[in-house]
Amino acid sequence: MISIDTELNKFIEKSEAVQTKCTVLKKDDLKTILKDGNFDYIKLNTPFKTYSKDCEFTESGVSKSIVNADFAIAETGTLVINSENEQLRLATMVSESLSVVVYKSNIVSKLENIISFMNESTSRENAYIAFITGPSRTADIERVLTIGVHGPVELICYIIEDL
Amino acid sequence: MSIKTKVKEKLNDKILYSNLKTFAENYKVSRANALSGLDFFKLRHDIYKSKDFTKDEILSLFEEFKSNVEKSGCTVLHAEDAASANKLIADICKKHSAEYIVKSKSMTSEEIKLNDYLEKQGLKPVETDLGEWILQIAGEHPSHMVMPAIHKTRQQVAKVFEKHTGEKIDPDDINKMVKIARKYLREFYFKAKVGITGANIAISSSGTIGIVTNEGNARLSSTVPPVHIVLVGYEKLVKNFSDAMKIIRLLPKSATGQNISTYVTWIKGSNPSFKSETGKKHTYYIFLDNGRLSFLDHPFLKDALKCIRCGSCANVCPAYEMVGGHVFGDIYIGAIGLILTSMLHDEKKAKEILSLCIGCKACSYNCPAGIDLQSIISDLNVYMGQKYSINPAKKFVYSAVLKNPSVFKSAMKVASIIQKPLLDETKENIGKLPILSDEHNFRKLPSVKEKTFSQMFKQNNFDKFNSSKKVFFYPGCAVEYFFPEMGTKMVQLLQKAGFQVDIPDTQVCCGLPAIHSGDGKSGKKTILKNLKYMGNPEEYEAFLVLCPSCGMAIKEDFKKYTLEYISEFKKSEKIANKVTSLADFLNKNNIRLKYDDNKKITYHTPCHQGRGLGFVPEDFLKETFGENFIPLKDSNVCCGFGGSFSVEYPGISSGILNKKIENIKDTKADILLTDCPGCVMQIDGGLKKQNINVKVAHLSEIFNELDIEKN
Ligand code: SF4
Ligand code: SF4
Repeated sequence: MISIDTELNKFIEKSEAVQTKCTVLKKDDLKTILKDGNFDYIKLNTPFKTYSKDCEFTESGVSKSIVNADFAIAETGTLVINSENEQLRLATMVSESLSVVVYKSNIVSKLENIISFMNESTSRENAYIAFITGPSRTADIERVLTIGVHGPVELICYIIEDL
Repeated sequence: MSIKTKVKEKLNDKILYSNLKTFAENYKVSRANALSGLDFFKLRHDIYKSKDFTKDEILSLFEEFKSNVEKSGCTVLHAEDAASANKLIADICKKHSAEYIVKSKSMTSEEIKLNDYLEKQGLKPVETDLGEWILQIAGEHPSHMVMPAIHKTRQQVAKVFEKHTGEKIDPDDINKMVKIARKYLREFYFKAKVGITGANIAISSSGTIGIVTNEGNARLSSTVPPVHIVLVGYEKLVKNFSDAMKIIRLLPKSATGQNISTYVTWIKGSNPSFKSETGKKHTYYIFLDNGRLSFLDHPFLKDALKCIRCGSCANVCPAYEMVGGHVFGDIYIGAIGLILTSMLHDEKKAKEILSLCIGCKACSYNCPAGIDLQSIISDLNVYMGQKYSINPAKKFVYSAVLKNPSVFKSAMKVASIIQKPLLDETKENIGKLPILSDEHNFRKLPSVKEKTFSQMFKQNNFDKFNSSKKVFFYPGCAVEYFFPEMGTKMVQLLQKAGFQVDIPDTQVCCGLPAIHSGDGKSGKKTILKNLKYMGNPEEYEAFLVLCPSCGMAIKEDFKKYTLEYISEFKKSEKIANKVTSLADFLNKNNIRLKYDDNKKITYHTPCHQGRGLGFVPEDFLKETFGENFIPLKDSNVCCGFGGSFSVEYPGISSGILNKKIENIKDTKADILLTDCPGCVMQIDGGLKKQNINVKVAHLSEIFNELDIEKN
């Protein structure tokens, strides 16, 4: 499908412009990565649910976590992560390296395409949704771009093409 | 310290100068990249509309928001002013026995001076945004709304960090400094009982707030501590996610030139919290009024409440770029800072800093919320002028001289005679004015010519040329007294093209100088008088101006100042629709010119040309001069003239001019063209003073030397 590939390419282009490392792969390849990847924290949906792994988050942080994104937005290279679960939320904040898994079929074109998801997710009493675009950064000293101030120093995005 | 002393101090700050100059250059490029392919004006119009609320409407959005978040046990409070907001926040902190409090960047908390208050109460707020933290431990205040520490160098930051942490720091290693902040601040998120954040957006229909950051500190501040306090101004309310996304799309592009900020965090209600004894976060929302609510119903100040705090109106402001945010603003900075200081803070202070605006309109043109900041500043100047009375000498000029054509004319006649001993060898310029200090002597000033434009018009029998195609030309003071040739050249050109040109029977000032200096009354009288002498708009194809500032005054201020006079208002409206600059007129009438020379030409866009009259002739010039046309970098940035501004703040004016001159030199052009006598005066004066051999001319002067192409 041409349109999906256009979105995919755009998403990758926009992501890489902000230092997100993108890899397009099959679900079986991801399973290998999950097995060998030495993650401290894994929270993924089926078909990767069996790999789940928990850990404790303190001020010292952890080195590697991997979580799902519900959607990805091509226009901006943004990963949309429902982070109501507090462990997951902490994982996206205090991991040195954060990996995010998104299904190719969940890449949308524009910010507007995410509105119905936002409406639905916030129809409950509480919600915490994160838009993440690249690793944490600052330019507060002399406007020099510096990566990794409070959040992850590295952001990896796995795009599963057969989901 | 007086404002002039502060300005001088900042003008001497070399670090500030180069930090702001580099930033402004880079910002313009990245903003343009981020916006490429988007219809900025449409998008900002959408934001403007989506934030256009009356007080009653905002209050009902507030009720909706409140009921949405109360469902999950959150507390929503109204704070009437800064003092009550501070007290509410301190009380919540105490109730939860907090010692440390982590804060993410919030201009609203700066507005109420929250940290000072909390510290007095024995609490320990810790800023977690890197820039804010640097300033907190250095004991300083932000000089920019988005980049608070933009005035500091890496070496200065290294010193601040060394002193605070006791660690030795390589003054060139920014990476290392960022790592120190990361390590040092991380423990406070876990130590703190309370996290305070602001909100960029509050969505009423769902009760969700949106927070935009790059560092990720707002996420940690709103997640780790068991208590979350959200301090938010009422004006941040929007109806729904669709409106919110529009802001998310434009805010980062306007703020830093990023496509989107690294983190956009959406929070609704009370979320799980492992540190809370109930397992659920204690969430409080403090909605700050502090004057906002009543201003929502104010005729011209209400628009200021549409601001999305991107900082762009500082980034593009040439005057800000010279003096920085510690002078150009108070708590809020940039054009919006001048305005919000008048609304929310000290009016006397506001009156002073309002005078720093040169009136270039760059802020209005770039504001992603579609706020016409310059026009609000101008209205505020008029208000301040009424309330605190303007400088009596100026007042005399505006009320007794400018609005009174015969007095003005005789004054100029006298001037043309008494300046004689001061003229330089060319007679075009004044050598040096003995009454002005050295500071003012950064450019050569033009002389008052012995014959006015109107006199030359008659003398040349221009009034005898009749045609069915008629235009009306408004010369304005600059052409009338200082540059009559610009006018006569244009008339010759148009007559060659077959147009009859009529001019006012009596030349009256357009009123802009009076209005800009805060003398609205004289401005209005001048405008009414002017309208009498303007031709009947039905008879003319166009109302031509050679000074875009006059043009803009006719287009905008004539209507604004004739609201109570129905027939004058109608006439103003009709004239406004016909105001045109020369190149625009030639272009529309398909008049093309032939250039056979090989002199290189560049072009400076006057502020009120592009941003006032809405036409930039670059394409026309490219067509006319072909390869010989060299575009000027930052062509549309102000030249620093600003009428009386250059006399009031010569240091700022000459600083801005010098940047322009650098860019002109880089083009290696032989001739600089522009569209405005004021810009000619400023740029030509500066080039001559520095002995730079570039001829400066108005379009009319060069165009008249070219042949009209027959088609
Ligand atoms: S007034 Fe406009 S340009 Fe200035 S900060 Fe607000 S939104 Fe940005
Ligand atoms: S009009 Fe120009 S000088 Fe005045 S505040 Fe706006 S950008 Fe600055």
